[in-house]
Amino acid sequence: MQLATRKLLDRTFTGVGLLAVGLVAVALVAMLGPIITRGLGAFVFQETIEHRRFLLERFGRGDRSEIEAEWAEAQVAREAIHGRITQFESELRKLDWDQRQQYAGPLRDLKDVLHELLGPFPDEPKPVMPRDQYGPTRWDRAQVALEHVLFIEEYDYSDPTQMGKKVLIPRANQFIGTSLAPLFGELETNLDKMLLPRRTFYWRFLFDESVDAHLFGGIWPEVLGTLYLTLGAIVFAVPMGVISAIYLVEYARPESRLVGLLRTCISTLAGVPSIVFGLFGLAFFINTVHVSQSKSVLAGSLTLAILILPLIIRASEEAIRAVPATYKEAALSLGAGRWRTVVTVLLPAALPGILTGIVISMGRAAGETAPIIFTAAVSVGQPLALWEAFSQPSPALPWNIYNLCTEHEAVDAIRHVQYGMVFALLALVLMLNGLAIVLRARIAKRLRG
Amino acid sequence: MSRAPTHNLAAARGRSLLRSKRANRLQHLASLAGHGILFAITSSSALAVLFIFWFILKDALPFFQLRGVREFFASTAWYPVAEPPQFGSLAIFVGSGLVTAGAIVVAVPLGIGAAVCLSDILPFAARQWVKPVIEILAAIPSVAFGFFALVVLAPMLQDRGGQMLAIGAWLVGAPVAALVIFVASDLLSARLPARRRLVGRLAIVGGLGGVACWGLANTAAALDAIEIPSGTNALNVSLILGLMALPTVVSVSEDALQSVGRELREGAYALGSTRAETLLRVVIPAAGSGICAAVILGVMRAVGETMVVWMASGNAAQIPSPWYNLLQPVRTLTATIAGEMGEADHVTGSARYHVLFAMALCLLTISYACNWISEHAVRRASRKLR
Repeated sequence: MQLATRKLLDRTFTGVGLLAVGLVAVALVAMLGPIITRGLGAFVFQETIEHRRFLLERFGRGDRSEIEAEWAEAQVAREAIHGRITQFESELRKLDWDQRQQYAGPLRDLKDVLHELLGPFPDEPKPVMPRDQYGPTRWDRAQVALEHVLFIEEYDYSDPTQMGKKVLIPRANQFIGTSLAPLFGELETNLDKMLLPRRTFYWRFLFDESVDAHLFGGIWPEVLGTLYLTLGAIVFAVPMGVISAIYLVEYARPESRLVGLLRTCISTLAGVPSIVFGLFGLAFFINTVHVSQSKSVLAGSLTLAILILPLIIRASEEAIRAVPATYKEAALSLGAGRWRTVVTVLLPAALPGILTGIVISMGRAAGETAPIIFTAAVSVGQPLALWEAFSQPSPALPWNIYNLCTEHEAVDAIRHVQYGMVFALLALVLMLNGLAIVLRARIAKRLRG
Repeated sequence: MSRAPTHNLAAARGRSLLRSKRANRLQHLASLAGHGILFAITSSSALAVLFIFWFILKDALPFFQLRGVREFFASTAWYPVAEPPQFGSLAIFVGSGLVTAGAIVVAVPLGIGAAVCLSDILPFAARQWVKPVIEILAAIPSVAFGFFALVVLAPMLQDRGGQMLAIGAWLVGAPVAALVIFVASDLLSARLPARRRLVGRLAIVGGLGGVACWGLANTAAALDAIEIPSGTNALNVSLILGLMALPTVVSVSEDALQSVGRELREGAYALGSTRAETLLRVVIPAAGSGICAAVILGVMRAVGETMVVWMASGNAAQIPSPWYNLLQPVRTLTATIAGEMGEADHVTGSARYHVLFAMALCLLTISYACNWISEHAVRRASRKLR
């Protein structure tokens, strides 16, 4: 082979390596990008007057007089629309039966989509469900609702070889020549006066309860459930994990068969698929030991604790091993016993490393879904008080992300909540991991200096 | 003189420096007891895995007693709620295998490439930046990956899947073809007499290049024409699972490459190898067992993953036709357990409940086997290098 070819091959090889790293980085950015940008959309968005009204009536938040003034202003803008509907209805009554039939269906549909866009009309009784009491709370959802008012979606199946094509038909076509015809243009031009959108930073999204199946409000029950589960898992797993690590490093004879078996068990535990942990939690903690009547945060925490146990053992073991032997020798030479050496010298020196392991396993426990499906998670629930966590299930971020984007009745209407939840979970996990990276860097510096 | 203060101190605390025999024995007993307690705690955390095996086995065996073994492994008829119910899980096993294979196709070249880059190519400063990227990738919860697969990637595949495949074919195919042609022309033209070497080489490059372009263009056109009926399919899941298995593959194979040591590398350089030749012919073969372990651990991660496959695989219990067709929806073991347990929970004791434990038992066995093989491989690697 010519030298030039060999050189080229060498460069290509380097290029392929760099390309692999680049692709990984690109994939990471491509994934985190939409989640972060759209996730922030749950916190920072254009809120409508309906959202301000909702916050005032539900949580008593905001300046009452100001919101009422704005509400009156919006009502004035909406008057024209409502007026046209009532006028058209009275006109209909004068028409003969055939023509009335012709308009009855379209009018009913129109009123439905108008409810979706503007909430209930002022002369109507207050509906029961919160989703019917308010119009869209976000300006982007209002645009979608406006689209539904202006156009009727139909599917064209004329070509049997292909899937049906979506066709948009202007709704105004149904009302040509009636007094309702100008309504659509008015809606399009005056919608901002009717809904008064304004940019807001809704940081309480994290701390508000959800209202009416996440169509309104925030994600506090999920956040709280995740915190309980994570902290519970840590409370159970850390003492066991650290003590096991101490035993394995300081007390166990490395050549012993039994210790080898223990190590094999622990590494096998690390490889068990997470869904199997879920089944085990169900079969053992709930059906056999009966830690609670049915699903509960306690059972979920215990299951997660077993899941993160090998992580904590491994991290603590490494941290204890990394303590320079001179520390231990100095302590022993001063007459300290083995246990005293471990508690007063080795553990403090290994503490940052152990903390790193704990923080990483917290991130793992917070993000795991499969183990809590059968042991702890429910779709809808109120935030629990601490003592209730022992006996009751709770919503949790990972489970509800799944639930909201696959099983919710209005998946598209609550995209922002889903993105907001993913963002919150990612932020929690990445913050924990960032903390671990910082901790590790500090340890490295200390060991070097 | 210097001892006196110590002695006084001990005396002041009411103890002599020499312990009595009894105190000594008590201390010995205490330390034994402490040792025992430590051992008990450690073994209980290790016993957890035996507990898991036991409890899964206990609930899995009734299924095989009720329904036998044949149907479960040999039939593809999965109708757990029909009357009479059928529990043929072959299609589900194939689904698990298919997405895992897809994930490995994505994760292994990328992972080994990145590992080589990290251990041998990038300068130290750049490594400090790349490692956290890989760590972040490992830290992202699986449900976030699943959400991305379902909400972002699936609609994209559905709308522009053919174009994406075509672009992918060009991106992968063109550089590979260029490289192959260049090397082939070099090798072939070496046989020609020196006078005609340049002309011959140009002719070979032109000829092969034309063929390659034609082939690639045809492939891309064929891929472009593909319409993907549903974005939630095996391809989507394979891509995401590959990305999820990547950190494992990278970190384990990087460790393996690092542990090869400088002597072998420097020996190869001294014999005149380029970096690529050193890595391909010396370092990677030497780290072979470790890289094997990395791949197996990656497989383990992909087989055991639940949320991504549950959300984005389409959950259709069928063997794709033809079997390698990644564009069709599939169903995996983990997704079946997660999806069916919610409904089977209240019929505890039925075959429908126990079949899920039978699947979990299979998963456990697979992961145990993977773990065993990878540990074996790592041990062999370290012995060989020593």
